[in-house]
Amino acid sequence: MTSLKRSLAADPYSANISSKVFVRSTKSGKVQKIVRELYLRQDIPCSSKLCTSCLETAPRDAGGNLPPFVLSATPAGTKKYRSGHYLVPDTNALLNALDLFEQASAFYDVIILQTVLEELRNRSLPLYNRLVGLTKSEDKRYYVFFNDFRLETYVVREFGETINDRNDRAVRKAVQWYGEHLSKAVGKKAAMPAVVMLSDDKDNLRKSKFDGIEAISLHDYVSGLENADQLLDMINVAKEGREVRDAKAAQNLYQEYFSVSKMMTGVKNGTLHQGKFNVSPYNYLEGSIHVPAFDKNLLILGRENINRSVQDDVVVVEVLPKDQWKEPSTKIIEEETMNKDDNADAEDGEAVVSEKERKALQETVQKVHQNSFETNPQPTAKIVGVIKRNWRQYVGHVDKSSVSQSAGRKLQTVFLIPMDKRIPKIRIRTRQASEIVGKRVLVTIDSWDRDSRYPVGHFVRSLGVLETEGAETEALLLEYDVQYRPFPKTVLDCLPKQGHNWVVPPLGDPGWKDRRDLRGLNICSIDPIGCQDIDDALHSSRLPNGNYEVGVHIADVSHFVKPNNAMDAEASMRGTSVYLVDKRIDMLPMLLGTDLCSLKPYVERYAFSAIWEITHNAEIVKAQFTKSVIKSREAFSYEAAQIRVDDTSQQDDLTNSIRDLMMLSKKLGQKRMDAGALSLSSPEVKVQMESETSDPIDVKTKVHLDTMSLVEEFMLLANTSVATKIYDAFPQNAMLRRHGAPPKTNFEELANQLKVRRGVELRTSSSRELADSLDRCVDPNEPFFNTLVRIMATRCMMSAEYFSSGTQGYPEFRHYGLASEIYTHFTSPIRRYADLVAHRQLAAAIDYEPLDPSVRSKGKLEAVCKNINMRHRNAQQAGRASIEYYVGQSLKGRIVEEEGFVMKVFSNGFVVFVPRFGIESLIRLRDLAESEPESDFDAENYILTTSGSREVKVELFQKVVVRISDIKEESTGKRKVKLELVRTGGK
Amino acid sequence: MPLDTSSYSLALLRLDGRRWNELRRITAQISTMPSADGSSYLEMGNTKVLCTVTGPCEGGGTRDRDRADIRVELAIAGFSGVDRKRVGRGDKRVSEMVSTIQSTFASTLFTNLYPQSTIHISLHVLSQDGSLLAALLNASTLALIDAGIPMRDYITASTAGSTSSYSSNDESADPLLDLNTSEEQELPFLTVATLGGSDQVSVLVMETRVQAGRLEGMLAVGVDGCKQVREILDDVVREHGKEVLKSGRL
Amino acid sequence: MPRELGPSLNERQFFLQALKEEVRIDSRGFGDFRAIQLDFGDEYGVSDVRIGKTRVLTNITAEVTTPFPDRPFDGPFTITTSLSAMASPSFSGPPSETEVLLARLLEKTLRRSGALDTESLCLIAGRAVFSIRADVHVLSHDGNLTDAACLGVVAALRHFRRGDSEVKGEDVKVFTMAEREGVALSLLHYPLCVTFSFYEGEVVLVDATLSEEQMREGSCTIGMNKHGEVCQIAKLGGAPVDAVILLSCSNLALRHVERMSKVMEERLLEDAKRRYKGGIKAEPSSENARVP
Repeated sequence: MTSLKRSLAADPYSANISSKVFVRSTKSGKVQKIVRELYLRQDIPCSSKLCTSCLETAPRDAGGNLPPFVLSATPAGTKKYRSGHYLVPDTNALLNALDLFEQASAFYDVIILQTVLEELRNRSLPLYNRLVGLTKSEDKRYYVFFNDFRLETYVVREFGETINDRNDRAVRKAVQWYGEHLSKAVGKKAAMPAVVMLSDDKDNLRKSKFDGIEAISLHDYVSGLENADQLLDMINVAKEGREVRDAKAAQNLYQEYFSVSKMMTGVKNGTLHQGKFNVSPYNYLEGSIHVPAFDKNLLILGRENINRSVQDDVVVVEVLPKDQWKEPSTKIIEEETMNKDDNADAEDGEAVVSEKERKALQETVQKVHQNSFETNPQPTAKIVGVIKRNWRQYVGHVDKSSVSQSAGRKLQTVFLIPMDKRIPKIRIRTRQASEIVGKRVLVTIDSWDRDSRYPVGHFVRSLGVLETEGAETEALLLEYDVQYRPFPKTVLDCLPKQGHNWVVPPLGDPGWKDRRDLRGLNICSIDPIGCQDIDDALHSSRLPNGNYEVGVHIADVSHFVKPNNAMDAEASMRGTSVYLVDKRIDMLPMLLGTDLCSLKPYVERYAFSAIWEITHNAEIVKAQFTKSVIKSREAFSYEAAQIRVDDTSQQDDLTNSIRDLMMLSKKLGQKRMDAGALSLSSPEVKVQMESETSDPIDVKTKVHLDTMSLVEEFMLLANTSVATKIYDAFPQNAMLRRHGAPPKTNFEELANQLKVRRGVELRTSSSRELADSLDRCVDPNEPFFNTLVRIMATRCMMSAEYFSSGTQGYPEFRHYGLASEIYTHFTSPIRRYADLVAHRQLAAAIDYEPLDPSVRSKGKLEAVCKNINMRHRNAQQAGRASIEYYVGQSLKGRIVEEEGFVMKVFSNGFVVFVPRFGIESLIRLRDLAESEPESDFDAENYILTTSGSREVKVELFQKVVVRISDIKEESTGKRKVKLELVRTGGK
Repeated sequence: MPLDTSSYSLALLRLDGRRWNELRRITAQISTMPSADGSSYLEMGNTKVLCTVTGPCEGGGTRDRDRADIRVELAIAGFSGVDRKRVGRGDKRVSEMVSTIQSTFASTLFTNLYPQSTIHISLHVLSQDGSLLAALLNASTLALIDAGIPMRDYITASTAGSTSSYSSNDESADPLLDLNTSEEQELPFLTVATLGGSDQVSVLVMETRVQAGRLEGMLAVGVDGCKQVREILDDVVREHGKEVLKSGRL
Repeated sequence: MPRELGPSLNERQFFLQALKEEVRIDSRGFGDFRAIQLDFGDEYGVSDVRIGKTRVLTNITAEVTTPFPDRPFDGPFTITTSLSAMASPSFSGPPSETEVLLARLLEKTLRRSGALDTESLCLIAGRAVFSIRADVHVLSHDGNLTDAACLGVVAALRHFRRGDSEVKGEDVKVFTMAEREGVALSLLHYPLCVTFSFYEGEVVLVDATLSEEQMREGSCTIGMNKHGEVCQIAKLGGAPVDAVILLSCSNLALRHVERMSKVMEERLLEDAKRRYKGGIKAEPSSENARVP
């Protein structure tokens, strides 16, 4: 029998084969021993154009092509290395200052060793990807030398040697070999470029000196360059920020959550507080939370204190001692730029808080300390537990730099950057990373463990390629939780059998019971152009006593949508129709919304009418409500109605009745204003689409017409009257809408800003005073200033909400903005569920039909209110986001200079609002000039002055000219509207 | 995370330092098991397999009375991979390999010389590092030669891949020869076996997605690899023959 | 197990002689398929494929299960094949080699090539996922089971709708089709198989009947999608064939795959039309264009 043992002598390869053995541990804690073969060879070229011997043995690819040699024959030199030099950076040098290597002014002819590349990849995949990008650029002349595969430079790890020491030794050996190899190639005759090792590791430098290898520290090397000052800055910044390779990641974990019982007791006896967590849109490390015990929101600063909470989670906080209270930061901190080099696949313990973040926050804190004599720090807290996670599905895109390029269908961990800036990056483990790069994807968060800096989630599905209309619209609907799926069969089964053929039955049908026949009245509707779901119609006629009879007729949706069936459940869940620029997501099926309920002209329709007798001075004599049958004479657009009213030659009854309505509405409006109703403002623009391709072509600011106020006034009147009526009938469970008076503290900042910048006093003790003082905020030279202030004031307000009358005391019913004691929504039942409830309650109040128990139950009504409040808010935000997206699209490929106003000033940037497009965007200091200018931030006067590379002085409320362009971010492939400051002051 | 296969484009070097058209070290021995009629031990890099052949012995011919049956058994040792795990007999991947080996040799051996009999091929995998099916086919060929069963020619096998994964639609992808485990996991590849170093393909198995355009290059490299393997195996057989002659065992 | 009866010597000689004269027994061209008929059931996810006398029925089902611990984000996707005695008497008894190889081929073509996006089936990581199961029933066997089964599974997967679901905290609710419209599976591409049979070293037949299969010396199944990506090739032994012939097979396969994809597309569209009842039921969409 022969032995299986291989005879070494017989094997021609044996000298060239080595194996690499290493041990790795998997995620599940398993330890694996990996054995890999290494085929050492001598045909790996040095790639220097000086060398001819390598050229002969250099390898060719399958097509027979020879990769060109990279390193220049005459590399640049410095004072120290006069005959030129090749640089060989070690891992530390690259980790610390990859930015330097990307500079165009220096760092050419660089040899990247395999050892270094491998180590860098271990440390940071994004940095590795950047470096590989560098090696592919032709003019930088970077060459990757596979030293571990070359027989002469291969280094075996010695017993007891750490892997870092072995790698350092491998680097030194490679540098040494390069030197010897080149001198052989060049011969004695010419001056040879030096091969210089760049390292920041003192030990490595010392050892190389001992071995007689040319080595220099990064700092010393850069000092010898021409534009040393600027480059040195870059090292210093980089150096402080990053953990060095050898530093063991500190085992800092997030604090463990309190037990539920501990939190409960704490909240009960007031030592802990419960509230909803909110993240600042400008600084992801700063959160705030409103708790009943404090007027001001509690501030939560830094990753440790935020302690794994995500936007909207219901959390429990502990207020920190007063000496740790901080000011809200005046600095913009964005996660995307801050932690861009993090490894998605963290195999060993990472620090929960990165050094960079710690520093960024410290900077802001220092700033606070400097002028602490003037500031009043805000109560600051830390999160000790989470009562309820409100994690939903998030839309975002995969961070391309976190993706390993050739993993194929192997499982890998990548970062997902959510669309919502307030949501942290999410680690996603997926097999299809390469397929979902560049797509909009939907993910969910699964967990967030104490030892992981980021939450962990999973991929749900892909919505399509980034920037395509379909993907972006769906993303938006998902982000705002808009229910856009088709109506299911059970809902469609609730529709009238006749479908579109349904008509108002002939007189005498049971449907006519208790219905007034108003078909004879001159009723018309006035809506935006192209409106298909016509909720409301109006009429007016003169009474013999000189008063007016005015009627508001609302689609009788409650006739078609009966309580407690599938359609009612669906509508209640959807809460509201959502209007996007190019789409409408209906609350009710089309058949009802745009046909049977819609008060279309020339056809008979069921309606719910509110009819008043009003005097010439707009005093209400009496009000009555009734179910009815109407036949609208005409459906006007706002514009058409306006033209008709203005055209004095039109003297028909219909036009005259509109004129009457117009006259009355103006008086009603004046009365409201006198009572202290606010006229607030939000940036409103309208996107114009190319009619055929439906590409957005232009953005227009909305024009206000009198006919709009006409409709609005009568709708307000109807809503208020109905509110009173249903509250009388059902004092415990009427569906009402309130708008709380904003707490004074909300206006503090704006008031101070106005006082400091413009010397105007903003009085906020009542809505009346606020309205008056807002009227006084005018700048004779700048008509838009008033609108700007109104926009900012609107943001200080509370949001209006639906509620059931039993849950609040009567004084709390007040609608602050409308200055009305009581208010509800009644006039748009096709597109708002609250109105439908009000319809049912009103029908019961006038004894038309009994009130369904579901509308009477307090608990149910509260649940409905909670849901529709949320849906309403989301619908508004979705609408705004849709406009924003289309504004962005209309700017595609254009560069526009436009006037804007400074809305907010930070220590490292400012926010500019551009009324023409209704966009609001951040300009950071580093956007101002190639290298970030020095800055001085005067927080008291809201002035940011920059010096150095660009000198500007930016003040709050100032008019500026900005260049608006639309850029595609290389790293993410995402399109963004970018604002650049052209100059301060107007055109 | 060590480098992955994407680093090939940096210097035309694979993960283990080979070029695109290089085989790993292949070593083999025959007549390793005196008790069997034929036996072999083969290493392709770190993939190591043992093969024994018994027969032709009486009995069999269930499929076709006029020919010998070929029975293949394959045992993959639990310690052969990175993780210790048992591979059951019911494993579909194993039965597919068994069926492939069986069917390959059924049309290569002159089974008509042994009607109503059975040839047993028993394979053991001691260590896996890619190209497993290829190694099994090569080891079987050697053992069958050792057993002295007449066959048309050598069946030799190797694997071929492409340097760029399916998703990165890289035009300049190079074909690769003889893949190891980490390459098999990341890259598209196929296993090809040819008869006697010709272009006659008797086994072609591919389980990964790849653009049809790359197929030709991969196949050409694979077939060429088979030719190289044939030379190596032939040397092993001739070397063994010389030794036998020298020792005068005949 | 009753033995599969092979063709007689006479049949064999006749067949081979015919091949030499470039004629197939059923007068098809060497590279032609038999007529393909594809139908869908009343329920979602049922497909019925007929290629000549071969008939394969596929049924897709989905249920919520716990995922495998090593793949917490993936919904399991299993393909089972049942070759009953109904299709051929030789199929009774334990799974035959044919059955194992068929299952393995389907698995390689559909699962390994990532046709079904299993990650999108995850509801709660590690706790709840949809598991998708394809049951392939061979009703009648007259050769070329692989191509028929593969077409059947892909068509059924495309036709299938799973119940919509909602996750609230730890609870998963799956809605019935009446409560909410079903959700189509996310398929990343549609791989199909084409099997080639080899005779006498150079004759290549496509879509062999059972008796042609029994007489062949080797075969090769190529899985491809219509974008020209090869998903799997299986020439598992048998008589050696020239490499060039194999390459030309892959080109021919693409043509057939394109044609079959088209048939599948058309039939799916027809089925969708059949389900579209018209009237108010046809207006379930809540997304409607808006005139700006």
